[in-house]
Amino acid sequence: MTTLTQHTSAAPGKSIIEKLNVFTALALGVISAIVVWRLSLALLPQDSEEVRLFSREDKITLLSMCAWFIGFMTGIGALVGPMRWVMGKDLSHDENMFLAGENMGPKRYLRYTTDHKVVGIQYLFITILIFFLGGGLAMLIRTNLGTPEGGWLHAQAYNSIVGTHGILMIVGTIIMVTGPFGNFIMPIMIGARDMAFPRLNALSFWLIVAAAVPLIWGQFIGGITTGWSAYNPLAGQAPLGMDGYIMYICIFAISTMVAGANITTTVVKMRAKGMTWNRTPIFIYGVVASVALALPAFPVFFLSQILSAFDRALDTSFYNTAGGGSGWLYENLFWIMGHPEVYVILIPAVAALMEMAPVFTRRPLFSFNIAVLGIAGISGLSVLVWAHHMYISGWAPLLNAPFMLTTELISIPTGMLFLVLIGTLWRGRIWMTMPLMSIFALLWNFMIGGVTGIYLSDVPADAFLHGSMYVTAHFHYTLMGAGLTGALAALVYWFPKMTGRMFDKTLSWIAFWMVQIGFNVAFVGMFMVGLAGQPRRVESYAPTFSTANLVTTIGAYTIMIGMLVLLHGVITSARNGVKAPKNPWQAKTLEWTVDYPIPLENFDVLPVVTTDPYGYGKAKS
Amino acid sequence: MTDLMPPKNPQWWKRSDVKKTFILWIICTAVIGYVGVEFHVRNLVDPASETMSSIISLMRMFTWAAAPVAGLVTAMSLTVLTSKRHYGDNPPAEADHEIRNSPKAAAVWIVISGLLCLFALIGGLVVLEQENEGVLNTQAIQVDVTGQQWLWNFDYANGARSEDLYLPVNKPVVFHITSVDVKHSFWVVQMGIKMDANPGYTTETAVTPNKIGVFDVRCAELCGLLHAYMQTKVHIVSQADYDAWLSAHAAMEAGA
Ligand code: HEM
Ligand SMILES: [Cu+2]
Ligand SMILES: [Cu+2]
Repeated sequence: MTTLTQHTSAAPGKSIIEKLNVFTALALGVISAIVVWRLSLALLPQDSEEVRLFSREDKITLLSMCAWFIGFMTGIGALVGPMRWVMGKDLSHDENMFLAGENMGPKRYLRYTTDHKVVGIQYLFITILIFFLGGGLAMLIRTNLGTPEGGWLHAQAYNSIVGTHGILMIVGTIIMVTGPFGNFIMPIMIGARDMAFPRLNALSFWLIVAAAVPLIWGQFIGGITTGWSAYNPLAGQAPLGMDGYIMYICIFAISTMVAGANITTTVVKMRAKGMTWNRTPIFIYGVVASVALALPAFPVFFLSQILSAFDRALDTSFYNTAGGGSGWLYENLFWIMGHPEVYVILIPAVAALMEMAPVFTRRPLFSFNIAVLGIAGISGLSVLVWAHHMYISGWAPLLNAPFMLTTELISIPTGMLFLVLIGTLWRGRIWMTMPLMSIFALLWNFMIGGVTGIYLSDVPADAFLHGSMYVTAHFHYTLMGAGLTGALAALVYWFPKMTGRMFDKTLSWIAFWMVQIGFNVAFVGMFMVGLAGQPRRVESYAPTFSTANLVTTIGAYTIMIGMLVLLHGVITSARNGVKAPKNPWQAKTLEWTVDYPIPLENFDVLPVVTTDPYGYGKAKS
Repeated sequence: MTDLMPPKNPQWWKRSDVKKTFILWIICTAVIGYVGVEFHVRNLVDPASETMSSIISLMRMFTWAAAPVAGLVTAMSLTVLTSKRHYGDNPPAEADHEIRNSPKAAAVWIVISGLLCLFALIGGLVVLEQENEGVLNTQAIQVDVTGQQWLWNFDYANGARSEDLYLPVNKPVVFHITSVDVKHSFWVVQMGIKMDANPGYTTETAVTPNKIGVFDVRCAELCGLLHAYMQTKVHIVSQADYDAWLSAHAAMEAGA
């Protein structure tokens, strides 16, 4: 409120664009939410006898959250461009330059800025923030599970922490590579001056900020007590916090769609002259596959939550069997999104490591074609496997065999990714850096994640394993052991380009080993309790599981310390790390040809590409 | 591994790194297979049904099938990691070759992963088929399972109702599972069966317990506040004990 008045009064002559920033957005969002809350409180009729309890509260909550969303997006300036266009006068050159944030210093990070490099840093910042919050919740979970008898957390709080941790981390891992590096690095890597739609780029970022607030809000009105998958009908009877989840997903889904359209267009239309598909770096393929997979998946997620909101607030019965719907509908919609989504997370992380592999072994990428084929094969198959999450739901037992087939087929293109990585390492000149070691870590972790995936894809074995801690361990091996490992390597690798300074070597090693060792300790323990029969998402467990749970908790604390070391490394290195040369790793992709600080439009003269970026090896040096 | 050598060199197998990898491969395969199998078998619950025993042997089989591939990746990684490493802030010299692909290696790799896939599929289908038949057995004992927040109810054909499950040893049972509120998942841990309890639908699963003893039933689907405590016991007893228990309980229900 105060911020708003300050800003509007401070500079009378400024155009509207120049007045808007995150503070006006917050103010407008909060004001709108409060206004709509009071209005709906006054105007909405009381629930009648026949109508389910709470649905009036749900309406009020959802309306207020929508108001927050619209207010925030208006306040940040998302509507200025479209409004001008409707009125027939587009933004002037000066205004566009202002939006790009040239010469504006740190302030541009708090605005609706269109420069892809600014958006990349903003994404990096919010990814770190999300991991920080999600990690904190993970530590609460593990601390509570340090002892069997249900710890000091109330059961509802515990359930809500599990759900919030899950959905935060899923969102964090979805954006962790395509957000920071897909925005900052990718356009330079393909020799473009910016993204195809710079304003959409700003939009996709600020939508994530807008989405975060309903999620946090939800924590104070009952929490998200359903786990990240928010199954119905449980979600239908969950407290009001569920509406926060619904809004969070809907807004985030829009962000993902916007970013997907933008990134895909950029890569298809704006690659430098001469950068044929065969000369396009593999990282670009990974980013495009990821967002292209998200493009059909996230509308389904969006829809599933809209229907959920209808069931809660308007008493429809999409997911309510008594009223003619079905919880199985929700499960199908959720996993039609959910399985592609795990590859949305994984593919760009692996592709980033594939990009680094030739650099740190000084030899060409092994089998570029197989790498592309593997990425394409995984993307294609991953939309055909969703019902492996529903083998034992009873929904369609006869479909179990075909879904088992498609699921197991995915291991063929997955194997191709292994072949490319191990083939590139083989007979290379090993340059011991944290990114290089991350490739080995990924191979190890993803091997465990993949093999356990095969057990899970086997219907009879899944009848034992489903819903147990074994599943939790499996997907942490893939999401964290493979995905996050790739993202952390990418951070260290591209850090010099993004900040102008090298990432502190010692700190990167300490963090790497603590995270990797802690990780393997924690999740091997989790496999053990899963095999011994501990269900997932429980706040207390039988005493027989206590030793392995304690092991997991110890591993988790090790990860936490490693992550804090890494965070410390990010902050100190960005502030006063060693100044980085233009191309510290002697890599051959285009982003290493621009100086730091990178000029607004990246290149004075657009580059022309004549070879692929993997020309390492004896002939060249 | 093999075909990553330059094709011109006919005696790739004589190279020292190939020999080293080969030996490591044998060792890694053995270690990974053994440790993997033991890890699973030791941590898994003791089976109390044929179904659980076949799950355990499936996992043993899959682990051994995956071990050579995992072993190869590990062996090659170890060879690479133990070769000359370069530390420092500047890159090492470029590699002494510029091999960009090897169609032969790729083909071998893809064919092998395809075969392993097929193997896993067949293994799974065989066991699946046996289980599907169990559900159709009309001679079996029929038990209605009803989940509700946060306990299980078991109804027997003769009217007996209980919150603990009693079953005779070595008799096939078919469970008809449903829920009165939200989704639960009926998991008889040591028997290797699990089936969701969905409100408004009835789902089936079948098993033949083959051990006398007390085993665990747990809910495997988050179902709200006290999900963690939604557990009960299954008592597997002799036929005589079962008959006695059943008629006593039926009489109890009738009297109540
Ligand atoms: C390599 C081949 C893979 C196979 C065969 C596979 C198979 C499976 C199967 C069958 C399930 C269902 C288990 C159950 O609920 O009973 C599952 C769960 C899961 N997998 Fe995978 N998976 C693979 C790779 C991955 C990857 C790469 C990721 C993520 C990057 C991933 C993330 C997940 C997640 C998040 C779940 C559980 C979701 C939940 O229930 O909350 N998986 N996987
Ligand atoms: Cu899946
Ligand atoms: Cu439950």
